Amino acid sequence: MKNYIKLANFEINRVSKLFTVLLGITLIVQIVGVIVEARKYLNMANEKMYEEMMSIAEFLEMFNQMSFIQVVRSVWFLGPIALCIAGVAFYIFLIWYRDWFGRNTFVYRLLMLPTSRLTIFFAKITTIMVMTLGFVAFQLILLPIELLIFKGMVPSDFRNDMGVREVVSSMPEISIIIPGSLLELILYYGAGLLAVSILFTGILFERSFKWKGIFAAVLYGAVAVVLFISPLLLQEFVVDHFFYPLELFLLEIVMGLIIFAGSIWTSGFLLKKKITV
Amino acid sequence: MIEVKEVEKKFGRKKILKGVSFTANKGEITCLIGINGVGKTTILNAIMALTPIHKGQILIDGEPLKENTFEKITFIPDAITMLPQMTIAESMEFMHDFYASWNQERATELLSFFKLKPNDRIASLSKGNSAKVNLLLGLALDVDYVLMDEPFSGIDMFSREEIANVFTSHLIENRGVIITTHEVGDIEHLIDKVVLLDDGMVTKEFNAEEARENEGKSVIDVMREVYVR
Repeated sequence: MKNYIKLANFEINRVSKLFTVLLGITLIVQIVGVIVEARKYLNMANEKMYEEMMSIAEFLEMFNQMSFIQVVRSVWFLGPIALCIAGVAFYIFLIWYRDWFGRNTFVYRLLMLPTSRLTIFFAKITTIMVMTLGFVAFQLILLPIELLIFKGMVPSDFRNDMGVREVVSSMPEISIIIPGSLLELILYYGAGLLAVSILFTGILFERSFKWKGIFAAVLYGAVAVVLFISPLLLQEFVVDHFFYPLELFLLEIVMGLIIFAGSIWTSGFLLKKKITV
Repeated sequence: MIEVKEVEKKFGRKKILKGVSFTANKGEITCLIGINGVGKTTILNAIMALTPIHKGQILIDGEPLKENTFEKITFIPDAITMLPQMTIAESMEFMHDFYASWNQERATELLSFFKLKPNDRIASLSKGNSAKVNLLLGLALDVDYVLMDEPFSGIDMFSREEIANVFTSHLIENRGVIITTHEVGDIEHLIDKVVLLDDGMVTKEFNAEEARENEGKSVIDVMREVYVR
């Protein structure tokens, strides 16, 4: 356990630069986005009212109040989120491959640590989760600040006020990243953890068997997906909607846990018996 | 004792090791010699479970390698194993954090022995100094066995002399050492046992001192007999 904490801390420190850069980009781009979108709306309002002599009421009737959703739907807001998701997706591969390649082969050091090699797997998967949840937490901190800037820029007559919860629930894409309840959080991020564990196992197949390992990884991924959706397939094509939705939901959770355990076991086996530096 | 028994290893369809067997005792320096591609590094990797073997068995003090075996055996590869952005001091701290067998006193001694600066970044080190840092990180562990892969490869004459001095110092005393090298001349007089490899097999295993005393042959003389036919 002590070694796991030390190694996870070490891995998190290794990703800190990339993490900080992505947070910085998110902070700057989203705040600039709030300012740009708000000014765009206000410029239009000024133009309509001063040049086309529209009254406030006429303007609002024609163009509606500005809501924060307009900012959220812009590339200024979604772009950095997409960039962070891409960053995490890229890092899922980089976190393993950088230890093998380059002038310094750190993988020797990792594999020769006097601890279970699964500790490496757990430390790396923890890093990915901490990184992901870190982005989410940062977004949650950033949202009220952005709402304040928005309120400061757009006069109350021209804006439709929303809380953080409303903003999040207004877009399905955002409500997946920032779930509305603890259960949703566990489900969404549990599914993410499961996907990362399958990818990690695939990477370890490749690192163990090289070209043949890529086929093994694809096969493993396919088997995992089929197993995961097997209750749904069974429900649809075999048992003719025999299960209640709650039963189906529980079956899905059980399948997810089985696949997660299978990924851990397979990764442990590969790291111990098959890995090649 | 490290026992390598009938070890076979394939890369694709090519058999690299074809039933290699030898032993390395504590307190002895065993040198694996062979031309490039004969499988010397593969043997060391296999001992450390860094590559799987297809047949055979490797035992360390009578037991297969387990996670805690890494507290009594260390491997010094020919490439530095620490991250380029780390300093030497941070690398030492990393080792100190993870290994109960880390000997800080010896690490400090090695630091001054090799005249290394703790705040130097790994990325900025010359090949010679990288090799010295590698040796430092390996030898500062209180382990029974040390495996070294080509410690003299591609480094300058003065660094080679410094590294060769390690073999006559107390830093190696009472440890079992397995070393692979091309530059056997640097440590020929220090080697106890020689294992000559050719075509994935052990072609000759002999005691260097006995060959010197009984047959008047140096290690290089025996190598000539085996390889230059």
